[in-house]
Amino acid sequence: MAKLNVFDRMQKLDRRWIYLVVALAIILPLIIPFNSKTYVTEPTENVYKKIDSYAGRTDRAILMCFSHDASTMAELFPMEVAILRHCFERKVRVLTICFMPAAKPLMDYAINTAKEDYDVQSGVDYLSFGYKPYSLFLITLLGMGDDIAEAVETDDQGRKIENLEIMKEITNYNEMNLVIDFAASAAVYSWIVYARARFGVNVAAGITAVMAADNYPYLQSGQLIGMLSGLKGAAEYEKLVDIFAMNKDEYGNPDPREFSKEIIKESWIKLSDIENRKYKTARIGMNAQTVAHVMIIVFIIIGNIGYFVSKNKENHIG
Amino acid sequence: MKRQIPLIIVICMGFLFAAHTFIPHKVSADFYTWWQSWSKAISPFAVFLGVMSLFMVHSTKISRKLPNWQFSVITLAALVFTSFSGFMWGTMEGTPFMWLFKNVQMPMGATMFSLLAFHIASAAYKAFRARSPEATVLLVAAIIVMLGQVPLGTQISEWIPETSKWILNVPNLAAKRAIALGVGLGMTATSLKILLGIERTYLGGGE
Repeated sequence: MAKLNVFDRMQKLDRRWIYLVVALAIILPLIIPFNSKTYVTEPTENVYKKIDSYAGRTDRAILMCFSHDASTMAELFPMEVAILRHCFERKVRVLTICFMPAAKPLMDYAINTAKEDYDVQSGVDYLSFGYKPYSLFLITLLGMGDDIAEAVETDDQGRKIENLEIMKEITNYNEMNLVIDFAASAAVYSWIVYARARFGVNVAAGITAVMAADNYPYLQSGQLIGMLSGLKGAAEYEKLVDIFAMNKDEYGNPDPREFSKEIIKESWIKLSDIENRKYKTARIGMNAQTVAHVMIIVFIIIGNIGYFVSKNKENHIG
Repeated sequence: MKRQIPLIIVICMGFLFAAHTFIPHKVSADFYTWWQSWSKAISPFAVFLGVMSLFMVHSTKISRKLPNWQFSVITLAALVFTSFSGFMWGTMEGTPFMWLFKNVQMPMGATMFSLLAFHIASAAYKAFRARSPEATVLLVAAIIVMLGQVPLGTQISEWIPETSKWILNVPNLAAKRAIALGVGLGMTATSLKILLGIERTYLGGGE
């Protein structure tokens, strides 16, 4: 039997070695975070700017629709927390809803995680409409275009939403003028097709990286005003919240500043400077993603070198 | 009759809702509101049917000791226990339901999805070969997009994220639009076939 050379061995490498390398490439950067720069893209900036334009207004609100379960939480949860943090910090009124039973605990978890550091009250600063059966999705979506209180009726605590403080100046999509759908699927299309087309509401998406490519046509056409794409989008949003909404003056008092591309370019935030881990989850995760992507590229290159050398050898013998 | 009545309901309701979209009259709006109440009443039956179906499928598997019947026991036990904890103590923070969600559902879900990384790495190494010019283009595009998605790409060169953006905004977008147009036309054709009673497979019966 002919002895295998290094390239033949590379072709027949046991996949368990690959799994081991990938596991280490992901686990080590999560345990030992390093500082890497976060570059902010325009679709993320647009979502931030839109939400920030509602700061302090009682006649404007955003709707966060949770359309995913725990499997995609690693990518979507950090962006949900970052957006909620932005809203609580800048006094933007937030409404939340979900049409998947598995999304309801995630929605509660995100709100509870973000509100820990803020003095916010349900029904005043934010409101969870809770879980509504998926069969009512279209009815609710279209109904909110006329009257949210009629379409949704009660919040997750069974209170009539028309009696709540937060809804006093919010009637329909004219006031709740931004819908952000967090999904690992094409759930956002329904908002684009029905809410955007019929009522002109601004729609944005928080989406897993694998689904992001599907949404580019809608971004380019303007049907999506912005998009947070996977963990990268979440990391970008975390950074924007840190440098603008969470900005402090020289005495350490809150001093939020207006969005500016120049400030983004100049800003460099060390992960070690952010005390609370929950506000840098995506950026720590991006370390692992960077190493994992590099590993996959290295695997592709090594695999191809082995393939071409073996092929060349076969041709030579043949 | 068993097939004709549902077929007549579908055809009549289908045309009524299509007409509603184009007729902004009070009668049309009232009909739509009336239907909304019906729709809300129907949805609990769907949940009931789903739970009943799950019980029937898994209890049959257990009683007949079919392959992997043990998993069915776990499925049914989890369904009963989770529902019971939700009905008994509610679903808010600090309840057993939330504990189950955080400590069982969340890690299991995340584990399933994270397996993707291992499969992608393994497939990239074993199968992603530059065997043809088309495969080479795909391979180069994949590497550029992967690098463009992480900060390292920008640190290597500004050219990488720009090219990645171009790939996503031009060739990717063209392909996606073509697919979307095809799907849209297909949906319209299928909807018309259902409305006209030509497409009847949704009625079941294997005809």
